[in-house]
Amino acid sequence: MQQVTEIDWDILAPELIIMIACALLVILDLVLPSMISRRWIGLFSLVAVVTAGVWIVTQFGHSPVALLENTYRLTPVTLIWKLILLSGTFLVLLISLGEDQEEFAPNSGEYYYLLLAAVLGGMFMVSSADLITLYVGLELFSLSSYVLVGIRKRRGDSNEAAWKYVVLGGMSSAFILYGMSFLYGLSGSTNLANIQQYIVKAQGTYDWIIYLSFFLMIVGFGFKLASAPFHTWVPDVYQGAATPITSFLSVVSKSLAFALLFIMIGVFDGIDEGWESIFLPTLMIMAALSMIIGNTAALRQKNMKRLMAYSSIAQAGYILIPIATLNKLYFPSTFFYLFVYLFMTIGAFAVIMLVMRQEKNEDMKAFAGLHQRSPWLALAMTIFLISLAGIPLTAGFFGKMLIIMGALGMEHLWLIVIMVITTIVSYYYYFSIIRQMYFRKANTTRRIRTSWPIGIAISMSAIATIGFGVFPEWILNLVESLLFK
Amino acid sequence: MNLTSYLALAAILFCIGLYGVITKRNAVMVLFSIELMLNAVNINLVAFAKYGMVPNISGQVFTLFTIAIAAAEAAVGIAILLALYRNKGTAEADKYNSMKG
Repeated sequence: MQQVTEIDWDILAPELIIMIACALLVILDLVLPSMISRRWIGLFSLVAVVTAGVWIVTQFGHSPVALLENTYRLTPVTLIWKLILLSGTFLVLLISLGEDQEEFAPNSGEYYYLLLAAVLGGMFMVSSADLITLYVGLELFSLSSYVLVGIRKRRGDSNEAAWKYVVLGGMSSAFILYGMSFLYGLSGSTNLANIQQYIVKAQGTYDWIIYLSFFLMIVGFGFKLASAPFHTWVPDVYQGAATPITSFLSVVSKSLAFALLFIMIGVFDGIDEGWESIFLPTLMIMAALSMIIGNTAALRQKNMKRLMAYSSIAQAGYILIPIATLNKLYFPSTFFYLFVYLFMTIGAFAVIMLVMRQEKNEDMKAFAGLHQRSPWLALAMTIFLISLAGIPLTAGFFGKMLIIMGALGMEHLWLIVIMVITTIVSYYYYFSIIRQMYFRKANTTRRIRTSWPIGIAISMSAIATIGFGVFPEWILNLVESLLFK
Repeated sequence: MNLTSYLALAAILFCIGLYGVITKRNAVMVLFSIELMLNAVNINLVAFAKYGMVPNISGQVFTLFTIAIAAAEAAVGIAILLALYRNKGTAEADKYNSMKG
């Protein structure tokens, strides 16, 4: 990897754009008189996210470099992660702009720059090559998202969700950090590449430290991934947070946790003993438990946000499979599924938000007869739901097929059997929403009000969900051309 | 005093913190317990930096970062707790159970 000693502003530009926008908006929010609508701050942050995203697209094909004393690196993988983070944030910003302003605190400017701060932390974390940068990036993301969950400070449920999130998030950070401290002790370095070399040398004599640090970190990652058996906080936090933030947590935060897992798997990669027999089976058990618990607990949920929370636990289980089996399709299938998951989840949350806002009711019954009231919204929701369920012609189906194909090559049949059975179980709750929309009578005939930002977000998500299902090679070719050049 | 005693101290502190987070009923005590867990990590890092297999300064630098971030985390935690206390009128963590399902 080429070392760059002077700071190359070109390479750091996407992070700098977000950082400057965030700092500017803090000052703007302070000096602007309070009559001016804070929607402008939202629009400005949307522009910043788009600019950073376009810059990242221009960086495709850049040769790998390491910056800032080898604590920051730019590789094709980091570019893909940043693209996922920024697309998720873009859609979340769109649906936040369409949300009723009274939902948030009166001056909602802080909402937008906290979102930017969170994504800045995420971008630094995915391109870190050093434990300290990794930890600081992760915490910048986490601290901003704790505040975002509790941003509706007059509402008891929002505060309670934020409290649960901050306690369990703090605990998981402590676990990750405790694991990291052992890695430092083993290698005397905080650089990830050095640590990897030392781990390879230390195996045999200091095995217990390696295992200890791995399991401590896995506990922390389990919380951040929202995977079972560390999932107990998820339904409460998802229910209490404002809906755009719920979608942010379930998409961006989860993708970030997967990026963290990828980085740490790269560190532990050199070990031959224990890798096949201890590390990977642990991840497989987590994947299996997430699929089983997520899909069965979702069956008896009537609250839409709790249902989506359990659904997102199950989805974390699916995405864990390629990592746990480490097969040939490991990179393409994870990235494909995360991209698709991004669009279908945010789309579904946007529709849920619109329906819940009008009905003032989080129950599934609020969807009754949506088909007669707003046919297009019902159609979009159907697309998202059948994609989450994994029915052919949608992107979700192709994503699941890739995961199964990869796992088949590694002969982990039991995992595939669990995945197929739990997927069939999941049809029940996804289709019960569709049943409500098409086969139940509506209580009112009022149409659901939408606004342009949400309209754009929903149609983009619907087009992407269908488009990537019909032409999956678009993403796959992109990932392949980046990774295997 | 060798490395093992420091590591043992850190491990005990970490376990006390974990026990506190899980069992304490007072919300402020829960935040204290998280701080205990993070400080256990600091002891670990500093011990490794001084008596570790490859003693060097970067462990202590790491500690500075974790102390700063732990302070920020405590601030956010206390702010959320204050908002929660205003709404619910109690600091008993097991009264925070309005969401069920």
